[in-house]
Formats: sequence, C-alpha cells, structure tokens
Amino acid sequence: MKTYVVQRLAIALLTLLGMSVVIFTLLRLAPGDIVDILFSTAGYVSPSEKQAIMRELGMDRPYWVQYLDWLRQIVTGDLGKSYRYDQAAWPIIRPLVPVTLELAALSILFAVLIGVPTGVVSAVRQDTTLDYLLRVFSLAGLSMPAFWLGMVIILALVTWFAWIPPLTYVGPTENFKLHAVQFLLPALAVGYRSSALIMRITRSSLLEVMREDYIRTAWAKGQTGRVVIWRHALKNALLPVVTVIGIEFAFLIGGLVVTETVFNLPGVARFLVQAILWRDYPVVQNLVMFIAVVVILSNLLVDMLYGVLDPRVRYGG
Amino acid sequence: MSRVRIVLFATLVLVLVAIALITPATSQTPKSGGVLNVMLREDLSQGFSIHETSTISTVWPAMPCLSNLVLFDPLKKTESVDTIIGELAEKWSWQDNYRNLVFFLRKGVKWHDGQPFTSKDVKFTFDMLREAADAPAKLRINPRKDWYANVEAIEAPDPYTAVFRLKKPQPSLLLMLASGYTPIYAAHVSPANYRTACVGTGPFKVKEWRKGEFVELVKNPDYFVKGRPYLDGLKYFVIVERGTRQAAMQAGKLDVSFPGETTKTAAEQLKKAVPQLVVTPYSQNVTDNIIMNVKKPPFDNPKIRLAVSHAIDRRALIQAVHQSGAVVGASLAPKPWGLWGLAEKDLVGLPGYGAKPADEKALARKLMAEAGSSPEKPLKVEIVTRAIAIYVDMASFVINELKQIGIDASLKQIETAQWHAMATRGDYQLGANLTGIGPDDPDANYYENYACGSPRNYSQYCNEEVMKMIDAQSQELDPKKRLALNYAIQKKLEADAARPILDWKIDYFTVWPHVKNLIPHQSIYNFGRMQEVWSDK
Repeated sequence: MKTYVVQRLAIALLTLLGMSVVIFTLLRLAPGDIVDILFSTAGYVSPSEKQAIMRELGMDRPYWVQYLDWLRQIVTGDLGKSYRYDQAAWPIIRPLVPVTLELAALSILFAVLIGVPTGVVSAVRQDTTLDYLLRVFSLAGLSMPAFWLGMVIILALVTWFAWIPPLTYVGPTENFKLHAVQFLLPALAVGYRSSALIMRITRSSLLEVMREDYIRTAWAKGQTGRVVIWRHALKNALLPVVTVIGIEFAFLIGGLVVTETVFNLPGVARFLVQAILWRDYPVVQNLVMFIAVVVILSNLLVDMLYGVLDPRVRYGG
Repeated sequence: MSRVRIVLFATLVLVLVAIALITPATSQTPKSGGVLNVMLREDLSQGFSIHETSTISTVWPAMPCLSNLVLFDPLKKTESVDTIIGELAEKWSWQDNYRNLVFFLRKGVKWHDGQPFTSKDVKFTFDMLREAADAPAKLRINPRKDWYANVEAIEAPDPYTAVFRLKKPQPSLLLMLASGYTPIYAAHVSPANYRTACVGTGPFKVKEWRKGEFVELVKNPDYFVKGRPYLDGLKYFVIVERGTRQAAMQAGKLDVSFPGETTKTAAEQLKKAVPQLVVTPYSQNVTDNIIMNVKKPPFDNPKIRLAVSHAIDRRALIQAVHQSGAVVGASLAPKPWGLWGLAEKDLVGLPGYGAKPADEKALARKLMAEAGSSPEKPLKVEIVTRAIAIYVDMASFVINELKQIGIDASLKQIETAQWHAMATRGDYQLGANLTGIGPDDPDANYYENYACGSPRNYSQYCNEEVMKMIDAQSQELDPKKRLALNYAIQKKLEADAARPILDWKIDYFTVWPHVKNLIPHQSIYNFGRMQEVWSDK
C-alpha cells in the first residue's frame, strides 16, 4: 500500500511537471498579454512604454528563463507577483481556496444525499411510476445548467422575497446563518446537476449487481430486502459511483466558474477567469496548478477507497 | 360672520392652499451617517491610480479618496467653467491673458497618512503628467499626457501657491483640471503605490480592498471641508454578472448603480419591479462611432468614407440597438446632454442625417458607383470590433446598412487585449468603435481623437485646416466665438467622415430614494467624489 502511494505520488509529480509545461505554453500562445490589457484600459498604446513595462514584469526574458523561474518559485513556496494587482499572488489566492473547496464539497454532499438514495429506489422499483418520475427528475438535472438554475433561484428570490444572498463572502465565524445560506443555494444548484449523474450511475450499477448470482443466493437464503440491497448489492455497486463522485469533485474545483459568478462568491474559478482575461500569468499558472493538484489528489483518494469498498482490490508493492 | 368676511376668509384659505401647492418643497436638511452600497461591474483595473487608466471602473471607486485642485460642482448637473468649484485650490486666477493660471491652495490640508499638502504635491503631479524633463517620477502608463502639451512649466513659489505657465492661452485647461481624471498625487508617495493603496486628501479613506470582491472606504475625519462628508462610509461591491447586479439593485442590497451600466430597457424593468427607484437619464459622454483607416485602401478614398457615413441611418440604429436609449449628435455631446454639440436641427445636411434614409442611401450608392462599386459588384471589406456585445450589436447593424450600398463587410471580433494595440497600429480597414470622453470640453475630445499624430486618433485622419480650427477654438477667450468655431469644426469633421459619429449614449443612472445629492453630470467620469452625498435612511 505504502509503495503504491509513493508510486502514485511520483507519477503525480511527473503529471504536474507536464501540466506546468502545457499551462505555461498555452498562456503564451493566447493572443495579447497583460501589458496590452493595461494599455487597453488607458485607451492607447505606446511601444516604448510597453517595452518598459515588459521589462519591469520580467516578460522580456526568454520563455525558458521565465518557465524555470516559475518552477523555482513553486518549489520555494513563492507564487510570484500578480501582474494585475501589482502585489504578491499568494495573499490574493489564499482566501479564494476555502470558498471553492467548501462550495465543491457541499455540492458533492448534496449530490450524494440526493443521488444515491434516488438511484437505489429507482433501481429497486425498476419500471414503476416512481422509477419513471425519478428518472425524469434526474434527466431534468442533467439538462439544466447549474448557472441557469442559479440565476432562476436568484430571480425567484428577488421577485418573491425582494432578497438575495450576501454580495460578499461571509465567514462562518462572522455569521454562521448567513454563511450557510450563502453556500446552500449555490450548492443546491450545482449539487442537483451532479446528483442526476450519480443517481443514474447508482441505478444502472445497482441493476447490474442485482442480477448477480450472489444476490439471488441472498434472496434464496431468505434475507430481508434491506440487508440484500444495502449490505450486499449497494456496497458492490458503489465502485463506479465513487469514481463519478471523485471525477465530479475534481471537475467542480475548476468548473464552478459560472455558479460563483452568478452568486457572486469569491472563489478560485471565478477569479481564474478574470485572471485569464487579464493574462495575469502568475495567478493563472498557480491557480491551474492548484486545480491540477486537487484533481490528482481526489483521483488518488478514489483509488484508495476502492480497496476499502472492495476487498478484492489489492495494491501491488 | 358677515358674507364679506366669509368671502375674504375663503379667499385667504384658497390663496394659502395655492401658495402651498406652487411653492417647491423645502430641500431636506442633510443628515450625517450611514454607509452606501455602490455597484462596481469589475474590479479596479489599476487600483486607485486614476492617472494610469481611463476606465470608469477605476475612476468611480477611487475618486472619493482623492482630491483635485478644482472640481465640477457635485451639486450641479451641468459641467462648465461656471460650475467649477475649488477643492485643494481655494481660489484661482488667470493672468497674462490666459497664459498663467495661478492657484492659491488651502492651508492645513493633510494627506491620509498625516503629511501636509503643499504646492510641492501639485508640481510633482503635473510635472509627472506632462513628463517634464526634470520630473521626479514617471507613470508607467500616461494616457492623458496630451492634455498638458500646452503647459510650459509648473511653479511652486511658496507652499500655498502653484502657477501653471502655458505656451499659449488655453482657457479650457481649467475644465480638464476639474475632471475626475485629474487628482493630485502625494509627492512623498511613489505613483506605483496608488495601484495597491490610496494616499489622498479626499473625503474618504480606503479601509480595505478585497481583490475581486469589494472596496471599502470610511469617512476621513480630517477632510478639509468642514461637515463633509455626510456619509460614514462607502462600500463598492464587485459584481461581474449583469443579472446579479440588477437583482442586487432590485433587492436593495445596492443603493447606487454603476455609471454607464443601466440601459433604458434595464431601467424600465427596474422601475416596474421597484417603482420608488429614482432613475436619472444623462449623457455618458460616450459615442458609438465608425473608424476608417484613411491610410489604407479602400478608405483612403474620401468618396467611400463619405458613402459609409451617408449609408448608416443613425435614428434606426438608436431604435434597434439602444431601444431609444441614445441620441443623435456630431463629435461633441448635443444639447441638452452637453454644452458644445450640434443640435439635431443643425445636423440636417450632414452625411447620414438627412430626413429620408432612402435618399441618404441613394447618395451613398452614387458615391460608391463613382468609386467603382455597386450592389452587384460589391466592395469586400473587413469590419473589426471588440468582442463585447454592445460593440457587436452596433457592428452588425452597420454591416446590414453597408450591404445596401454595395459594401460587403465581414465581421472580425477582436479581444480586448488586442483591440487598442490593433487600432493604434492602424492594423484594420473599418471598425465599429466606442469612444468615452472625460470632461465635456472640445479640447479634451479633439486633441485626443482627431489631432494629427495622436495615438487615439485611430482613423489617422489629419487635416491641417481642422487642426488650425481646433487650436483657434482652444485659444478663443470669447465663449460665443468659441462655440461658433466648435460648430464649424463639428460640421467639417462629419463632412470629411473623419470618424462618423453614430450616436451619443444615454445612461439611466439608478439610485434608491434615500440616496440624496448624488447628481449625474454630463460625463460619467466626474461625479464620483461623494462628499455631498447623504443617506435619508
């Protein structure tokens, strides 16, 4: 197990190194740079002034020097300076991280709480009215973009109650009730969509398991439905579900951009889009690397969970 | 009681009622206290460094922290030389036939860090802006250097006197100094520092700027105007999503909208949802216009440029693209939205403003035929515009109009990051553009957008005769003569299709009724100081 984790972490490091090359290259391939944007806000361009700013920001150096400098910064824990805000990148990025992690975790929690039970019920009551209703419910969730649902929630709140959630981040110690409201609504909007996917995977996986011989044996032994479904069937049907949950969580870290924008939550994804628009290389590079780390770690965690859920899975070493 | 007495009494009552009805309500006494929540549609682009940017997203939240020498009176909606009040300057005086402008500065003013304000700060700021050879500091981006091209020297003979020595008379310099674009920076602070913090002398101090989230300002207890500001603070919320901004306004989470944000349709929707909201239409001092590269074929041909201008039906564009939330006008804002622009009746006879659009199109087709093109043998061109909805909508309308006169224009959307570089380089044929102007004054507009060699003269139009007229109006001391000269310049620019103006955009500035004394001016850049604003909550 230990060797497996070390191997995986080594592969993760290589993956991150590859990612860093891709991020760095793609950013430089995008048309325009921060200096163009700065001049754009001023409404003119001066080639000599542009050169001076490029020099000031270190953007006139060869690309490989800039790349190695960035790697050195990562290794030493220095995330560089935001071009846009003219100050260290880390103090800007740090408060964004917990917002996105909390929103993603809450969304996944909702998704699991809704998706798994409805998936089980739908499978157990296959081809009944309840099954059809639950499938329509899940299909609606898949078809409805989270940002659209978010906007509908906002509009409904403002129209019926003349109220919307707070416009800035409210910390849990500052006002827990407001904090909860601020996160519950977007988490519901996002979680509903994810729950639809989890529900469908749970349903199909469970249906498959329910047709296995050992389930038939369990029924034949006269075990109760609850024991057969929850103890024997569901545990074995959960592997693909856990995989989907892991993928969804990883996707949400970077994919919450529109939800964060609609609910005005200061998270990583919303900030990342602004940073891309501003070609704020240090911020973009470090935020994308952060997302990559979360994706890799959540995949690793899912793989670890396989061993817990299925004793047949053994990690070589 | 006798009948006469009854009649007299009744008459007296009636007179009193009538007086009560016709007398305007006494203006309310301002109250101190309260915090206003103000809308921001994007984060500050250069922090509080107004001198390094042109965007309202910086000017609007940074203005309350800073002060000018002079400012357009926040309580008057008209911006003119008559509505300028002193800020850091107590008094000022033109001398030597408008060649010297002398400012007598307030004493006892302190910067937010406690340092005293003196004439040294004035000299520092304007030497930096005009890039004097001996300037002690340099801005990394200096978009309004041209405003000070006529300043020969800035002198500070004593700590409370500053003298602007001009190369030639320029009465309008005072209007540029009164713009929100012209705050005084502290000489003891690096200009780069304003990108992250704000050391000003303004009515509010910056308490916190949480990037991408909000900017919070609190009352400056040492503000040099006694009893001001009324408010305890201001909080500017960054809300990127338009629908959320509107919902926040509707829900009362925001008290004040963002200048230039509210279209006519949006204002109507808000009023329908919350009838008590106060909506004030005013000119944004922003135009939709067409830029044609006069240095490149086919628009080096004046006939084709003129044909383009004739072809575009301005009134139809205003209806279709702005749902009537804009007005026609030439290169300066038209009355009553501005002071200098040609009125609609004066536009008749200029390209594109004929009474019958069909006649204008026929004239355009004739010009195109003379240039060798026709609807059967269309001229193929590329029209560039920024990849932003308001630009693309306008460009799409223009493409349809041009198609009717034999110009087959294909749309190319340019990202913001590349737009100004491309336009300044002249790397385009035809463009659909927006231009924002600081103060409503001809100098601020003409030298920037029409002067030979100006980097913002995207069309690269250069006409010596027009330049002489622009210089003449700038030096003209008689307001009536200056106005007449400006009418002539505007007609000439439109007749030359230098940068055909399509419309002047109107903003429907929206506030909640408890917000008092926040009066929009003729330009979005000049009314953000907030020192007179109070809350009747």
